[in-house]
Amino acid sequence: MVLLLVGGFRLWRSSGTSGKRSATESVQRGGELIGSLRVEPRTFNRIVSRDQGTDLLNTLLQGRLVRINRATFELEPWLAESWESTPDGLTHTLHLKPGVRWSDGQPFTSADVLFSLQTAEREKASVLASALVSGGKPVDVSAPDPNTVVLVFAAPSGPGLRVLDQIPMLPRHKLQTAVAAGEFGAAWNTKTPPADVVGTGPFVLREYQPGQRVVLDRNPHYWRTAPDGAALPYLDRIVLEIVPDQNAELLRLQSGATDLTQDALRPEDYVSMRRLQERGVVKLVELGVAEADALWFCLKPEVKGKDPRFAFVQRKEFRQAISHAVDREAFAQTVFLGEAVPVWGPVPPGNRQWFSPNLPRYPFDVTRAKALLKEIGLEDRNGNGIVEDAAGTEARFSLITQRGLGWSERGTTVLREAVAAVGIAFDVAPLEYGAMIERMLACNYDAIFMRPLTTDMDPAGNLDFWLSSGSAHYWNLQQATPATDWERQLDALTSEQAATLDQERRHAIFNDAQRLLAENLPAIHFAAPRTYGAHSARLVGVVPGVQRPPILWNADSLSVSGPRQRP
Amino acid sequence: MPMPAMAGWIARRVLLAALLVVGASSAALMLTRLAPGDISGQLGPFAKADEVAALRARFDLDRPAPMQWALWAGRAARFDFGTSFLYNRPVGEMVGQAAVNTAILATAALFLATVVGLSLGVLTGYGGGAVPAVIRAASLLLVSLPPLLMSLLLVFVAARTGWFPAGGMSSASAVDLAWGDWLADVLRHLPLPTLALALPLAATLERLQSQAIAEVLRQPFLVAAAARGVGAERALWRHAWPASLRPICAVYGMMIGALLSGSFVVEYITAWPGLGRLMYEALRARDIYLVAGCAATGAVFLAIGTLLGDVLLAALDPRVREGLEA
Repeated sequence: MVLLLVGGFRLWRSSGTSGKRSATESVQRGGELIGSLRVEPRTFNRIVSRDQGTDLLNTLLQGRLVRINRATFELEPWLAESWESTPDGLTHTLHLKPGVRWSDGQPFTSADVLFSLQTAEREKASVLASALVSGGKPVDVSAPDPNTVVLVFAAPSGPGLRVLDQIPMLPRHKLQTAVAAGEFGAAWNTKTPPADVVGTGPFVLREYQPGQRVVLDRNPHYWRTAPDGAALPYLDRIVLEIVPDQNAELLRLQSGATDLTQDALRPEDYVSMRRLQERGVVKLVELGVAEADALWFCLKPEVKGKDPRFAFVQRKEFRQAISHAVDREAFAQTVFLGEAVPVWGPVPPGNRQWFSPNLPRYPFDVTRAKALLKEIGLEDRNGNGIVEDAAGTEARFSLITQRGLGWSERGTTVLREAVAAVGIAFDVAPLEYGAMIERMLACNYDAIFMRPLTTDMDPAGNLDFWLSSGSAHYWNLQQATPATDWERQLDALTSEQAATLDQERRHAIFNDAQRLLAENLPAIHFAAPRTYGAHSARLVGVVPGVQRPPILWNADSLSVSGPRQRP
Repeated sequence: MPMPAMAGWIARRVLLAALLVVGASSAALMLTRLAPGDISGQLGPFAKADEVAALRARFDLDRPAPMQWALWAGRAARFDFGTSFLYNRPVGEMVGQAAVNTAILATAALFLATVVGLSLGVLTGYGGGAVPAVIRAASLLLVSLPPLLMSLLLVFVAARTGWFPAGGMSSASAVDLAWGDWLADVLRHLPLPTLALALPLAATLERLQSQAIAEVLRQPFLVAAAARGVGAERALWRHAWPASLRPICAVYGMMIGALLSGSFVVEYITAWPGLGRLMYEALRARDIYLVAGCAATGAVFLAIGTLLGDVLLAALDPRVREGLEA
């Protein structure tokens, strides 16, 4: 009985994915992990570029003051081991972990923090400046002593210190000359000698061969230790092979040439990967439910106001009718091959902190869809199967999407069939990515189907989407003043939640914002894919996260055991 | 051909090649500029307007297309081909390295394709029986296979069997290798992309050689040679085979040029860091100066290839030499 209880307890402990190693996983120090990169890094300086390759390398090479755990979404102490905040939430005093050194052996102090934050705020080339703005003013930073940093926000900020997760710490002794010379934008470019790229991350840059690979070695001065006191990272080396083609990337994983893929798998790859998992060659890990797809119309009155169709496109009943016309369960089955969940808003269930399950829903109901269209004067008056308004304007639209994406092209096919049943015609035009974006930015389209990715799980980190003035408010970008009353309300709710310190109150306000969006449906969401990553069976300590990088975000705690397996 | 005539002919070809390079790179620049979408799409769908504007200004995209071309041409005349947005490196350096990698691959593939294709072509064109029939069928299959499929098939075979690395130009551990070991490592990585490039090419050469040799064997001069008592083997290798090479040389130059300017499908799938893959990635990202640089280098290789082919043809065919002299 006692044995059963102990066994049961162990099983319970090992079933969690909270970052603890399972009972069967053993840590082996040393070894090399080979991953893949599908895009080249443009620079080693994350402050001046947000491209995927640079961002991944930044995770491996640089430390931050605090870290958002990609599995739990909780804020964790990192280079700042503790902090205190004043009750008004404006002043935060951070205490740095003592004894931390840069990878070249120089001490890490508050002067480096000051340098990093001020550079991110003030440098013209910085792409992170907006993260350090509060109440329209830059966050004030000071360093009263070598181990303390004080941040003063001009206005209350809901995310508070979470914004620091984005800002890498940079070595003042290496980069202050470039900043003083006004050359920070070009500093740490891909031609910089690897030894000059100094960091507090778990790895250091050994070599970058464009088109071939990036080699990273263990940082001998890394400051983190495992719970048992062992020095981290466990791995001696990470090699990131540059493999632009996803098919070739998967074949390399299957052959045992690499240990993990860069991103989530495509739905069409799940079956073959599951077979390999059954044979013990790879392991599939569920990363979570990612961002939902979206269908939206250009709702910019300045551009579309003279289009006779705008009279009904701008009515929420029209968009609600489309939402009713689509069977989301069937959509998830067909488009994402069953690996998706139906959704009713832009925040997917994978974002456990901010997802609201109580949004208005539009169940599959063709009769209701037709009734909604009739309410706004759209009927099939000439019997050609397409509804028209009283002036004879047909509800016929071009629908653009990205060419070459399996789910995207399947999605537009399903949508075309679904809306045809209620009398709306979509002429589908898959476009090359750049062309699609150009048309989107110029509002030179009727409707778009794509999966916009968010940069932050916290809504205060995605103000560009929620605010009508935002550059990601995609149905009507960067409005000077809100075009509709509901967008005015949405702006107010968004600003309020971003400036609220009480997290419960923030959640309540954000739920209202989500509800408002779901009622007005400027973008219609159908399904959010359940995403999986794959890694070799020899990789130990994987704690998957839904955001990029899904596995390597936790690189200092990964280890490898045994040789690579060949199928 | 007298030397002065040959020198004049080569000079004219070099001049034409220079025009080809300027034309190809300018056309690539203009087409990339005029095609829908531009480099700012790489900033993502929701980039801020000032970021987009700064990037467009950095690449002269805020100026009219002719003005952009003039600025680029002016810099290119001073051997400054601009900077790649994708790699944040000078285009000249990127293209130079990729061209060397492509040349290594193309030379290996061309050598293999020539040796295998021509020898099997002579065999199938000269004799009958089961073996030539099997070779003919295999050639037809290889010629019909799209490069994408062939590359994926070979990567799959490599992945399943482990006979050779499943892609790349060197191993992950190459960073620690001495020069000699590094070279051996590169040679170990050559078979996959080389086979992917060489097999269809060998099949094409086999088909051409087979038809050419069969046709030459029916020529009266070989009947006369046989009547004079020349042995079958000597007639084949000394008389028929050189004569059969003329039509092959006519297409060989184009083959060399095409190979050297990079096969993007093979390089992309097998992760070979060559010119074709670089061009493809540059085109996808609308990395305008990198596209122009790759096109210029590709045109240089094409010109070299066709020049070599023409020189070979002139060396083999007296009628061509006479035409040049005239």
